[in-house]
Amino acid sequence: MTEKKTILIIDDEPDTFTYFSTLLEDNGYNTVGAENGDEGLARVKESPPDLITMDITMPKMSGVKAYRTLKEGEQTKSIPIIIITGVSEDFKEFISSRKQIPAPDGYLAKPIDENEFINLVKKLTSS
Amino acid sequence: MELPYKQYFESMPCYLTVQDRNLRVLDANRWFKEDFGEIEGRYCYQVYKNRSDKCEVCPVERTFRDGQRHSSEEQVRCLDGSMVSVIVYTTPIYNDAGEITAVMEMSTDITEIKALQTQLRQSRQLYQTLFEEVPCFISIQDRDLRIIHANRLHKEAFGTFLGCKCYEVYKHRNEECYPCTVRQTFEDGQTYSHEEVVTSIQGKTMNVIVHTTPIRDANGEINSVVEMTLDITQIRQLQDKLTSIGLLISSISHGIKGLLNGLNGGIYLVNNGLQKDNRDRLEKGWEIVLRNVSRIRSMVLDILYYAKDREPILDQVSIAELSSEVCSIIKGKAEEQKIEFICDTEDNIGDFEVDRQAIRSLLVNLLENSIDACRVDKQKSDHQVRFKISSEEEDIVMIVMDNGIGMEQETCDKAFSLFFSSKGNEGTGLGLFIANKIATTHNGSIHLKSGVNEGSTFTVRIPRLHSTNIESKTEEQK
Repeated sequence: MTEKKTILIIDDEPDTFTYFSTLLEDNGYNTVGAENGDEGLARVKESPPDLITMDITMPKMSGVKAYRTLKEGEQTKSIPIIIITGVSEDFKEFISSRKQIPAPDGYLAKPIDENEFINLVKKLTSS
Repeated sequence: MELPYKQYFESMPCYLTVQDRNLRVLDANRWFKEDFGEIEGRYCYQVYKNRSDKCEVCPVERTFRDGQRHSSEEQVRCLDGSMVSVIVYTTPIYNDAGEITAVMEMSTDITEIKALQTQLRQSRQLYQTLFEEVPCFISIQDRDLRIIHANRLHKEAFGTFLGCKCYEVYKHRNEECYPCTVRQTFEDGQTYSHEEVVTSIQGKTMNVIVHTTPIRDANGEINSVVEMTLDITQIRQLQDKLTSIGLLISSISHGIKGLLNGLNGGIYLVNNGLQKDNRDRLEKGWEIVLRNVSRIRSMVLDILYYAKDREPILDQVSIAELSSEVCSIIKGKAEEQKIEFICDTEDNIGDFEVDRQAIRSLLVNLLENSIDACRVDKQKSDHQVRFKISSEEEDIVMIVMDNGIGMEQETCDKAFSLFFSSKGNEGTGLGLFIANKIATTHNGSIHLKSGVNEGSTFTVRIPRLHSTNIESKTEEQK
């Protein structure tokens, strides 16, 4: 039996965390939560997950800063990240305009399509 | 007349006549005869003006009387009927005995000069009308930036301060502005335009667009600069409104996306709970659905309140009744989140003069904020929201206190700003903005005290009697 993969969900909205964690657990994943970028980075440091889903608009450290920190860290840059936010198009444009920051592995706009989400998670955690 | 003089007389480029005491024309030069005809036996007033009697004021008569030279301006009629403006000079002619025997009258055609004068007068009037009535503020300034001319609108808005410095009149300041476009126009002769904010003598602040243009003298030297200032306050207000609407739409769509995501989550848990006959999951999902539906409802109400600029509909409202109504709404929400809710209303507190619906929505908004601040707080296990109403002198004081996550100073400072939200995807940045707007339209205020992990306290102060004379204010402090 293969070991369950762990997904870190960084989102300030508790309902979103409940939703994503239930959905992912129903699809055979372990989940860990963080309410903001700061807390997310601490969780990654404690135990690197197999994939991160991250919101952009959050109190304290925003998703943009957390994303940049993760992609610049030697230990963390290989962890796939899916950006899931209501402003994903703006974020996509922002990242594309800055060539030195690598593009995220996936973008999803809220409200998400469950099948699309799970398929993307499967694809990014299969390698 | 001797020959050479006769020749000069004939060739002079003006009308020349010699008249006796009865104003009979004794002699006339060629120019005169060409334009007025033969003179034989005719009188001056007949020839020049086609009159039967002599003129009331006659320079020839005056010269006969006092022996002096005289002049006057006249209008005369030529043979072809055209009117000619002339300037008339008279000179006495003496005999050997020193007696005046005749008067020589010289009339110079000044018709063209008169026409130019009329044109000049008309164009001056036109310029004056344009200058005075054009719908913008015009001032003309010298090199010291002193206003030397100003139009009517300028005087009405900024007072009659000819000779005063531009910056004193426009901005009530003692120093020249930097950069000064009037100064730049003096230096390089170019026209400039820029935007400014100025204050009228009535204290009205105006957004204006200022154009400067040089005025040059005959040698091409710039001796003054004209400053034309257009009031664009209404355009700016409209732009602000449009920007606000743009921000509102962006903020709402962002908020709605988050809420729909939450709603989808609730639906997923409900469906999954039903399929797997898992009651816990079903209840959890249903709770999420209800919460997000309630948030969408609040958001829609906030948007409607923001969209409609309305005056408060004042009524005598029982404070105890309003408090009980608000508490019944919040009690259920607090219980769902296992938050202790304490409602404390002073005994016999009486009525206050407010817009019932608006104050109710203000209090529900603040209390829901407090519930949220407790719900998302993971640092403490026991949470409490306290709602207290009491009277203090002429005011009713309503306090909403929680021990939730609290706010940093920066968040506190911006808490009442439009479209600012510390709730990430959950907030639209309308709730506290509207709460503050409601308080200020009631001549009241909201005071916020908060600290990270210490909770927040909102103190709403509303006068028991609505009075438009009380200056409202909002203080935001830690």
